[in-house]
Amino acid sequence: MKIETTLSGSFPKLPLEPGAPNVRVVRNRMDQGKATDRDLVEATRETTRRIIALQESAGVDIPVDGQVAWDDEQTYFARGVQGFEIAGLIRYLDSNTYYRQPEIAGPLSWTRPVTVEDFRTAQGMAHRPLKAVLPGPYSLYRFSKDRHYRSPEEAARAIGEVLAREAKALEEAGAAWIHFEEPWLGRAGASDASLVRAALEPLFRGRKAKTVLHVPFRAPAAVFDAVRDLTWSVLGLDLVEAPDAWSLISKVPERRTVALGLIDARNTRLEDPSDVAKAVGRARTMRSDLAWQLCPTASLEYLPVDRAAMKVSRLTEAARLASGNGG
Amino acid sequence: MPRGLWTTTVGSFPKPPHLERARNQFARGEISAERLNELEREATIEVIRSQEEIGLDILVDGELYRGDMTTFFAERMDGFQISNPVRSYGNRYYRKPVATGPVRRTDPWTVDWWKFAQSQTSKPVKGMLTGPYTMMDWSFNEHYPSREALAMDLAEAIREEAIALVEAGAKFVQVDEPAISVRPEELKLAVRALGRAVEGVKAKTITHICYGDFDVIYPALLDLPVDMIDLEMANSRYDLLDRFRQHRFTKEIGYGVLDVHSHRIETKEEVKQGILRGLEILKPEQMYIDPDCGLKTRTVEEAKEKLAVMVAAVREVRKERGITA
Repeated sequence: MKIETTLSGSFPKLPLEPGAPNVRVVRNRMDQGKATDRDLVEATRETTRRIIALQESAGVDIPVDGQVAWDDEQTYFARGVQGFEIAGLIRYLDSNTYYRQPEIAGPLSWTRPVTVEDFRTAQGMAHRPLKAVLPGPYSLYRFSKDRHYRSPEEAARAIGEVLAREAKALEEAGAAWIHFEEPWLGRAGASDASLVRAALEPLFRGRKAKTVLHVPFRAPAAVFDAVRDLTWSVLGLDLVEAPDAWSLISKVPERRTVALGLIDARNTRLEDPSDVAKAVGRARTMRSDLAWQLCPTASLEYLPVDRAAMKVSRLTEAARLASGNGG
Repeated sequence: MPRGLWTTTVGSFPKPPHLERARNQFARGEISAERLNELEREATIEVIRSQEEIGLDILVDGELYRGDMTTFFAERMDGFQISNPVRSYGNRYYRKPVATGPVRRTDPWTVDWWKFAQSQTSKPVKGMLTGPYTMMDWSFNEHYPSREALAMDLAEAIREEAIALVEAGAKFVQVDEPAISVRPEELKLAVRALGRAVEGVKAKTITHICYGDFDVIYPALLDLPVDMIDLEMANSRYDLLDRFRQHRFTKEIGYGVLDVHSHRIETKEEVKQGILRGLEILKPEQMYIDPDCGLKTRTVEEAKEKLAVMVAAVREVRKERGITA
């Protein structure tokens, strides 16, 4: 059985080749008044084209657009939703990266698509269906500061509902895959179960696209019962930083897909594809009723672009080996 | 008469625009290392003068010759390579150290700069290093089998530098650990690594950590084997004081009273109130008053204005409470 490959979230924006369109350079030039918004749009488009081409040429089955216009994993979406305000920079979990904290200043309301135009543009550059990437609602709630709602559940549900509306708009634009990045699920304790349900329940109702719930960095063990029965299509697990996530594979509902995060997105050390293929084999021996994807543990943007590109090659090579091994 | 409320800073000062330009020119090969060094020394003298004029008690060299707080050290060590740029947020990028072999200190990293800065003033200048846990956490690791193994080797190297600073005459050695607060489950490792880094260092030892999940790491934080822990107080609206009420803060404290993330210049009164709130539960001889964090993200003028307000507020509190420096 073929093991499909995909990426999780954003991809480094800098070019591998000197002189290629470079959003960093254009943004610096804009700060100096030497480049225009149009220059940035053009550089963003060319960078997206390059990121998609890199994945397609490596043989990634379900590519992503790399989220080239996103400053971090939350703000780009939150900024487009009525009721959110964007506040100061704070550290992103245990990484040495940062994000601007969304603040819920009023009732959250989805008034227009936020990511659909980007998706359409990127899909037009691709030769296979792209996976749209959104923040997960539980994580977006935990990354935000709520100054409006009366209870955490109310706020989390409101975030789930606006993300569900965005997902619907993406489906209407043709998205066959929608990925929700949920790092906070791995940090949730058992007492957070009702909050997790409140955030996630609105998300999967009536979805036509295949949905991915991806949990980087830690295993969502404490709240797994709360998410188990939701109708997601794919559960993404980080099996490098969170080896305890292996134990969750036995609890996945029948005939779902598990995306095995076996390529370390937070370390430059390159994996041996045959070791990764063996780990895929281990998963297969655990459950014969599941389908499998292979992916990095998290967004590859934690890495410099050269290493990220090499990791993509290792990913697809490992999947080829695993597909061969699996028959 | 009680003594206390000494004034200092956390470490970095803003680089003046001409020095930023020079660093970029050097990176493009347009000026020599000697020319850049000359400009860095001139700017360091200016930072020392500025701190003296403002009236700070314990000075720093301003770190104007450093870029990133981990890469600066990694570039000077065996066992590290430096990665291509990695994004930290938006359009901000930095190059990360990559441990590709055993990490070792082969030459002093900061001793000459410390000697140069100290030669410019009769006030004490702190030796400033990045701690082993933070160096480990903010590096890629392609060599060591575990995070612990890398952190402990870094601790050995940092200890050598700390001892060299003391041998050169440093009375204060600060080993910054801003990463400590984000992985509470590794606090014991951080304590062990920092403990090794300052073992046998015959100076007042300090560590600066940034605001994190204090519900989890306090009071265990007090296990950090240093004389002083420097904390962001203003940024959290002094709510750490509530935790200190529940569990006494037993060490000396670097007590941050200036928000380094804001362009706004604090008023003397608000800084004074922050200090007075601290004095409700801390002794003046425990307290060193400083900004929340390094000042490198402010402009030169903002940094000066903020520090002048801080020193004026401390002087008023000292006068009202009969405290001497």
